[in-house]
Amino acid sequence: MAMSPTAVVVRRALAAASQGSHEGGARTWKILSFVLALPGVSVCMANAYMKMQAHSHDPPEFVPYPHLRIRTKPWPWGDGNHSLFHNAHTNALPTGYEGPHH
Amino acid sequence: MAHQAHAYHMVDPSPWPLTGAIAALLMTSGLAIWFHFHSTTLMTLGLILLLLTMYQWWRDIIREGTFQGHHTPPVQKGLRYGMILFITSEVFFFLGFFWAFYHSSLAPTPELGGCWPPTGITPLDPFEVPLLNTAVLLASGVTVTWAHHSIMEGERKQAIQSLALTILLGFYFTALQAMEYYEAPFTIADGVYGSTFFVATGFHGLHVIIGSTFLAVCLLRQIQYHFTSEHHFGFEAAAWYWHFVDVVWLFLYVSIYWWGS
Repeated sequence: MAMSPTAVVVRRALAAASQGSHEGGARTWKILSFVLALPGVSVCMANAYMKMQAHSHDPPEFVPYPHLRIRTKPWPWGDGNHSLFHNAHTNALPTGYEGPHH
Repeated sequence: MAHQAHAYHMVDPSPWPLTGAIAALLMTSGLAIWFHFHSTTLMTLGLILLLLTMYQWWRDIIREGTFQGHHTPPVQKGLRYGMILFITSEVFFFLGFFWAFYHSSLAPTPELGGCWPPTGITPLDPFEVPLLNTAVLLASGVTVTWAHHSIMEGERKQAIQSLALTILLGFYFTALQAMEYYEAPFTIADGVYGSTFFVATGFHGLHVIIGSTFLAVCLLRQIQYHFTSEHHFGFEAAAWYWHFVDVVWLFLYVSIYWWGS
């Protein structure tokens, strides 16, 4: 399925590294870690950061849909009305957003 | 002095299976007690007993294998089968949650607005933090392979570096997911969308934490010269488990984060 020359080279190197002799296999994977894997992570970090900056900071308007914010049984902590990762800014309660900001 | 005339491991009597079973009983009944009578004592007791069981049982296995030489090739083969079977059972565990997700999302009910994501749900952008999480786990798969080859080639320092890097990537994933959980505009109580999302990704996150811990134990053992270039099954088991965690994430990413948005 490899189309680009880089992918072909990588595939050949990976095949060599997985063979029985294991000579230099560590070096191959070390190179892959620092040339492919970690830069890939950096690119995705930059991308995620820039996309997050471009967001609007206001949560969506509250509509009291009956199929959301279900409270069949209270949670066994706090007042039983807040989920474990409750975020007052982005998570409305069944009665609407909390606090003075909305 | 008596010798065994076979290569197998007749394990000495051990209390840890019993304490493990008691811990399981205390944790499950403790959970029910917490839900209905608001006391966390039983559950906490069970959790402590579980941690003590795990620490002592695995410590004993390390003693038997690394220091007493009981892990001969046939014994190691049995351990390999065991780990493979365990990971297979975990695959089936996640299969259930994927079944639940596809059951609900392929034919969304009128109560949800007849659409997926349901009306009123703002899904996470799959190309923001979820994509970064994918890159982090894939990178950790590369670094753990680097670690394996390093161990096989007797490269002690590289093995320690690559294993540490793998664990750091695992922690980074966990930190990113925790942040995503806090920032998400939907909660577990938001109908079947919230349930399927948080139960599937939540169990996955738990497995990332378990895998990172397993790798961390391997790092400590590598530093203490437990592994040889020919015999390091504990590390291999941790690496298999880590790859499994990575693959589950890829399925979660494609199904729930990407297709499901």
